[in-house]
Amino acid sequence: MGAIAPTAIPSTQPLLKAHSLSKSFGGIKAVDRAEIEVHPGSITGLIGPNGAGKTTLFNLLSNFLRPDSGRVMFNGAAIEHLQPHEIAQRGLVRTFQVARVLSKLSVMENMLLAAQNQSGEKFWNVWLNPQRTLQQERQQRELASEILTSVGLFHMAQSYAGSLSGGQRKLLEIARAMMVQPQLVLLDEPAAGVNPTLINQIGDHIRRWNQSGVTFLIIEHNMDVVMSLCDRVWVLAEGRNLASGKPSEVQQNPLVLEAYLGQ
Amino acid sequence: MEGYIVSLIIFTAIFALFGLGLNLQWGFTGLINFGHVAFMTLGAYTTVLLSLRGVPLVIAALIGAAAAALLGLLMGLTTLRLRTDYLAIVTVGIAEMIRLVAENEQWLTQGTFGIQRFPLPLANFSPNLPVRVVMILVLLGAIALGYWQLGKTLRQRMQGIPARALRQSALAALAYLVALAASLSIVSVVARQIKLTNALPAWALGLGLLLAGVAIILGFMKLAKLGATRFEQWEKGLSWVSAIAVALFGLWLTGFAVQALYDYDRNPSKTGLMWLSVLLVAVAYWALERLVRSPWGRVLKAIREDEEVAKALGKNVFGYKLQALMLGGLIAGLAGALYAWQLTVVFPVQFDPLITFNAWTIVVLGGAGSNAGTLLGATIFWGYDTLTRFGLREIIPLEDSALGAFRVMVIGLILMVLMAWRPQGILGKKEELTLGR
Repeated sequence: MGAIAPTAIPSTQPLLKAHSLSKSFGGIKAVDRAEIEVHPGSITGLIGPNGAGKTTLFNLLSNFLRPDSGRVMFNGAAIEHLQPHEIAQRGLVRTFQVARVLSKLSVMENMLLAAQNQSGEKFWNVWLNPQRTLQQERQQRELASEILTSVGLFHMAQSYAGSLSGGQRKLLEIARAMMVQPQLVLLDEPAAGVNPTLINQIGDHIRRWNQSGVTFLIIEHNMDVVMSLCDRVWVLAEGRNLASGKPSEVQQNPLVLEAYLGQ
Repeated sequence: MEGYIVSLIIFTAIFALFGLGLNLQWGFTGLINFGHVAFMTLGAYTTVLLSLRGVPLVIAALIGAAAAALLGLLMGLTTLRLRTDYLAIVTVGIAEMIRLVAENEQWLTQGTFGIQRFPLPLANFSPNLPVRVVMILVLLGAIALGYWQLGKTLRQRMQGIPARALRQSALAALAYLVALAASLSIVSVVARQIKLTNALPAWALGLGLLLAGVAIILGFMKLAKLGATRFEQWEKGLSWVSAIAVALFGLWLTGFAVQALYDYDRNPSKTGLMWLSVLLVAVAYWALERLVRSPWGRVLKAIREDEEVAKALGKNVFGYKLQALMLGGLIAGLAGALYAWQLTVVFPVQFDPLITFNAWTIVVLGGAGSNAGTLLGATIFWGYDTLTRFGLREIIPLEDSALGAFRVMVIGLILMVLMAWRPQGILGKKEELTLGR
């Protein structure tokens, strides 16, 4: 598929870099001066015990929540002042912890919705430029069919997304994110509530997309998935950075063990 | 009779247009707009005031529609960042504000006294026979388009259903509806006799009618439940049969419309307005259908369901909501101009919140998110209005004002029954209501 390869950026410079991000809800510091770096072409993991602030950090990175302070750099430009949709348009797409498919649209419509720069999304083009809209729709439909086929959902393309099973919804949500043709995808627990066979499949898809040039940042509780997929792991506990490094290193880190298991 | 039917067609067309605007905002985008009448008020007053100052009618109406769209922009800018239920409250407030301005700024609107004797479209138009024939053909074309769309929608809903189940459920539904109509007629004939002979005091007759009505509704709801267990496509059968009944009623109306156009000179201003309104509805319908089937419409439906997802996929949700409010407002503003021309006087009272309620009834009845449903809803609404306006007076010994209230009550009752029986409306898609996250 035609994802944008991140070759333009030197590999030393992170694709996404958060600097000293903080967010409080009332008196609770959900995220406290957190740092994170995602290098282009990598699959980066973000782990931490429940309530560590991982999802909040995701919300801050994609600006679904406004940070109290701190910076987020994507592709070398600050994005923390942008609207969520502007961030997505720049190629940083997020998914949700509980899969949010649009159940009253068909699977295909879910996919088509995600395509960017559609001329038909400006209402005047419905009359002024119908040919271009039709042509784009055809192209997007082909791309969507390709992605759906690769994740094994093509036979469901015309069904309502609401008729999919839980695992299929997860797949659709990730496939839909790929339809944006992103540079970086933030996946919030892609393996949660999914049966082991499908977990392996999802892992394979992520690896395949990664090889075609898409960078991933993944929140995941399933350590097998994290260890097998990720190049680098960031650990968050109580909103703060606890450790980061190669998965094998992090796994041995006594601080991390302590945070997960208690004393 | 003919004059009344021409008026009925005009009202139906105006409210179909008005409902189409609301359907774009609520049915497709999920914006709860309880102040839809504001657009109509602004469209009506702007058109009338400008035309009184010598602005040509077409331009005046277009400026009126543009003003309504601008009101949509203002409404949106001030409220759309709020959650939907707050938007609903603010829209009520804005509509009341506009009405109160019209009532109190007497230098501009002449207040409750109202504006009269403003120019009407096509009033001095006297077409010769060929022109009339062309007008009739254009009208028939627009109506044929409507029937073609209705047929298409019905066919789509029928897809994948075995013919036998279809036939059975449709026949059962036909019997059901005929029996319902017959019971209602019998009750009204008996009531009329009692009223004529003064055999019972008014309160007893009223109570009897109420009890009979409740008994009929409960009985037929029970029958509907029975039908649902017997026939697999029962609900769809009911929808189809009622849609076809309304379509036949529409054909009957069309006959009068053609007759009126043929005798154009007998009542030029009304006949011209009828032609214009039906045409505008057809154009608006066609434009909206293309819009909601485009990628633009897809984004609106996505916002209706989950705006966070739309945001995460790079859609400017706020911008789309504004566009939906403005386009819906524009259409309602146009309906406002037609409304003023139809009434030939504009008073603030004509724009009370009940008008918004009527639009909601039409959209809910026909099925939210279905433009064909809105057209159907408008036809049913005005058919009901006519029937009860002339029918009820004959059988219920009440004063006219009480009768008016009674008719609105019955509409509420019908809506309640509809919500229990078919919450998606007559042409809505059931899946769009029942599929959860």
